[in-house]
Amino acid sequence: MTDAPSPTLSRRNFLGGSAAAGIAIKVSFLRGTARAGLVEGATRPGPAWIAGGKPRTRLDAVAKVTGAKTFTRDYRARDLAGWPDRQAHAFLIAATKADRRFEDLDLSRLGEALRPDRIVRHEDLVADGLGVPPHPDFFGDRFLVPRGETPRLLGQPVAILIYHDYPRYAAAKRRLRFSDDVVRYGEATAYAPPPHYGATRWVRVAGEAPEDEDRFSPFRDAPIFTGFTGDQPAWPAAGTEGASARGMAAAEAIAAEIAGAGADALVVRRAFVSQSADASAMEPDNGNVWYDAANGTLHLMMATQAPHAVAETAAALVKGSRFPVTEVDLKAGYTVGYGTKDHHIHPLLCVLAGLYGEGRPVRLANDRFEQFQNGLKRHSFRMDTTLLVDRATGRFRAMTGAYVCDGGGRPNYSMSVSFVGATAAQSIYYLPKSDFQAVALASRAVDAGSTRGYGTLQTMSATEMLVDEAAELLGMDAIALRQANVFRTGQRNSQGAVPAGALRNDEILARAAAHPLWRERQARKAAYEAAHPGRRYGVGFAQVQKDYGTGAEAALASLEIDPRGGLTLAHVAHEMGPGVTTSQAVMVGEILGAVPERTEFGVVRWPQMPLETADQPYTTSQADEDRLAQNPRWTPRFTSPMSATNSAYYLGHATRTAARFLRDHALWPAARSLWSRGPGGGALASYHTMRPEELRLADGTVSGAGLPPLPLARVAAEAHRLGLPVGVTLHTFNRWQWTEGLFDLPGDGRTRLPIDALALRYGAGAPPERQALMDTAGWHFVERAAVFYPPTQRNNVGTTYYSPMATLAEVAVDTGSGAVTILSHHAILECGRQVVPALVSGQVQGGLAMGIGHALKEFLPLYEDGPGDGTWNWNRYELPRARDVAVWNQTVEILPPLSETDPPKGIAEVVMIAVVPALANAVAHAIGHRFHTLPIRAENIREVLA
Amino acid sequence: MTMPIQDQALSLTVNDVPVGPIPVPRGTSMQEFLHEWLGLTGARMGCGQGICNACTVMVEEDGKVPREMRTCITGAHWFEGRRVRTVEGHACEEADGSLTLSPVQTAFVEAFAFQCGYCTPGFVTAATVLVERLKAAPVPRDAVEAVVTEALDHHICRCTGYVRYHTAVRDLVLATPGLVTA
Repeated sequence: MTDAPSPTLSRRNFLGGSAAAGIAIKVSFLRGTARAGLVEGATRPGPAWIAGGKPRTRLDAVAKVTGAKTFTRDYRARDLAGWPDRQAHAFLIAATKADRRFEDLDLSRLGEALRPDRIVRHEDLVADGLGVPPHPDFFGDRFLVPRGETPRLLGQPVAILIYHDYPRYAAAKRRLRFSDDVVRYGEATAYAPPPHYGATRWVRVAGEAPEDEDRFSPFRDAPIFTGFTGDQPAWPAAGTEGASARGMAAAEAIAAEIAGAGADALVVRRAFVSQSADASAMEPDNGNVWYDAANGTLHLMMATQAPHAVAETAAALVKGSRFPVTEVDLKAGYTVGYGTKDHHIHPLLCVLAGLYGEGRPVRLANDRFEQFQNGLKRHSFRMDTTLLVDRATGRFRAMTGAYVCDGGGRPNYSMSVSFVGATAAQSIYYLPKSDFQAVALASRAVDAGSTRGYGTLQTMSATEMLVDEAAELLGMDAIALRQANVFRTGQRNSQGAVPAGALRNDEILARAAAHPLWRERQARKAAYEAAHPGRRYGVGFAQVQKDYGTGAEAALASLEIDPRGGLTLAHVAHEMGPGVTTSQAVMVGEILGAVPERTEFGVVRWPQMPLETADQPYTTSQADEDRLAQNPRWTPRFTSPMSATNSAYYLGHATRTAARFLRDHALWPAARSLWSRGPGGGALASYHTMRPEELRLADGTVSGAGLPPLPLARVAAEAHRLGLPVGVTLHTFNRWQWTEGLFDLPGDGRTRLPIDALALRYGAGAPPERQALMDTAGWHFVERAAVFYPPTQRNNVGTTYYSPMATLAEVAVDTGSGAVTILSHHAILECGRQVVPALVSGQVQGGLAMGIGHALKEFLPLYEDGPGDGTWNWNRYELPRARDVAVWNQTVEILPPLSETDPPKGIAEVVMIAVVPALANAVAHAIGHRFHTLPIRAENIREVLA
Repeated sequence: MTMPIQDQALSLTVNDVPVGPIPVPRGTSMQEFLHEWLGLTGARMGCGQGICNACTVMVEEDGKVPREMRTCITGAHWFEGRRVRTVEGHACEEADGSLTLSPVQTAFVEAFAFQCGYCTPGFVTAATVLVERLKAAPVPRDAVEAVVTEALDHHICRCTGYVRYHTAVRDLVLATPGLVTA
């Protein structure tokens, strides 16, 4: 049996701490200011991008629609200030066999003219102190395949070829493409993947009454961790001592109840398979690296969703190598990855290429074949599920599932993907008893990692297909069965935690049940099939809820108002496509009645916030955290990657809190000051009981409670004159709950805020003693008087923030060809309060299209015929096009918020999930056969109908 | 067996600007030429196979409706002597330095048609070609949706599910005099 991994429970949980002390890290973001060569023109939006508080366009719209350089991929060395003009280029030679030893390269096809200027092999890396990737428990134990060894995975690179000019690079790459004689192999061996990545088990048994304590749950007790015997997880023995033993006893009791179920219960056991898939982000992985040896600076231009982590990891990589580095300077443009550019080995391969550029910037940019060969994949899952249902009531008594994902040949996030998937498997149902196993296996497949949905697409789709089938077996309406079991506000999830706020799954179910597509489905089926011989009609439904966030969400934001009322917003958020920059600016407008005139996103240098962190938010013990938090500059984490659907709620919390701070501590007292002017205390005298909540900020005007409206500029000028805090920078941290801090504010006294660090800038009228406080990069860093971090036990929660969505899909199946045509679909989403409705509906429409691809089209073999062989592209991997997604026949219904103070919820992942099982259920309705393996393609249907 | 790289002079007009003659290796794709020689990266590399159409540009010919061409599978030298408009050449620069977007660009921007924007240049190109085509040959109003889908369907978008691109073009076509018949 192998060792169990350390019991850390984060969704994305390691890479903490700098392993490269002594190397300065600098990260910055390019903002599309570079101009394309033949076009002279600004690409920044004009002031008309927003009107009446409603954005008319995205902030980045003009740059993107004019083809300006926005993506990292668009930049060459000559576009980057301070870089040499000459651009070198590199590509990878990859192994396409994982059952034989790698012997050598044969580059004779290239001849003398196309010989690389530099070849980098594993042995070079070892000689130069670069042989092992930093964090080998994440990135794997080697970059390149050593001579004489069997590759860990298909598609693993064996060498990096570097050219100092483009023409020879391009010619060489064309010459070697698809050649199977470039990599020479030796004797056959067994496969050589790393050890399996981990297994966890999430068991819950509810108490007698709903309000009772759970008898056992991961939150109350603990999840169960184990290692492996062979390919099987070696679960501990059941017993009465220790959380693991008691948990196993609870699991055995659930299994016994299912095994002993009588005639009053329905037991449905089904095995599901969800395929390996490629996110197919349009921008393939790429990076450009210049090692400036003279200055000891490693310059990186990288496409990544986690720029800080890439910079840190690059520093760790070069530390101790023969390449001295004193500073890593990373630049990032816009990118898109759907999670696959969160943490990946590709940026490190780019760094290696750059180190061997002999002073030249080296660009390593995947083409699409290479992207299939080495880009992160969505995990394939095998899922053995069992549902125990009371026949009389339709209530679920228990559910079990073994969720086994194939992580491929590098660990990456497979462990956390497995248990995020397993803990989401309950979908929208309350389960009094549940036992979910999460198993992450290693294999020779291309490595899988963070991908939109993060394991939950696979597990919730299985549950939604299982429940739909159970309804059929019970003779119940499939939505009625869901309603009988819906997860309600205040109930515990399968980890034993109570989700945040109101759960509105029942509202969505009621709307779906009333929708004509559902109510009239049998009549429509009869009518359609009568009118269309050879075609079968079906309507399917599914509903899911998806968590958002990672359980350690940290952000920084800064907001300042100048004496003219002009606002400046600076934020750590950077753009992945969903419109985070637009929505953050709009959030300011909602609170202050004016949007920022100036915005700066992707800000990474915060000299006014001298915070200290080891970035170990998941693994620090309660005692250690209590001790560390005594340091008013300590925080569990500085910032989070742009992933996990964290922009609207988590990053928005920082923005909204900053805006509210300026409202409460600058604009409110300044407005009162103005309203108090004049004889007898002015207009305010008779309204002096006006409360802060009566203040109104809209359209650049400050008003409320019957007082004369004031221009925001005048109020801002007064705030400056009074020396109030006219600039605020704050840091936030969420562990499935917001951190709060107490701060002694000059003039306002001790104040409780939902943040853990604060810096202020005061107006010019501040007295000298207050001015003197601004000694930290021109700001007053207000050391907190106390801080209340959520208890570390909440790391066991798994999740508490959910967004639900349902989809009704209407399909026609051609009985001859097996082709599935989507006639229409209707989605129902609950997302709290929408910030920018156009961005929300765009997300929904895009997620639906991606889900349609997963359900009906996209498929990758895992192993020898799969993407590791370097021959895959979109000619074989079919993506949904407009004709496939019912582009003119789709509707979206969004629940109105419960109140105008509802927070916005993260939706980027949930929007693609429900449509997957909805389509499977629709096909079942159409042809009477339930598929349990995705995707459902025409050939699968033809086989069934033959 | 190695053939040396053979250059061939290339002259063409890109976004109304004469370019060349420039020595360019034979076999270089137009996409490579735009990216690596001219620094115009708007026509994006998506698949390199002519599948996704993120890389398309317009070829303009006097008296003819412009053509949409895939630059990833078309050699640079095919464009010898031709006039090409890339996405960088659709907007006009005004005297004050501001940009005036084309009608198609404006429609996409106002419709929030894209998210990441990587595929946007191809959609701008395809929609512009469609508008030009409809100027020459209007279609019945009730055929517009089908015509839009036919014109844009070969373009892949992974973020926004096509809806906002298609509705933006439909609405532009319906609102532009002369593009539809009764």
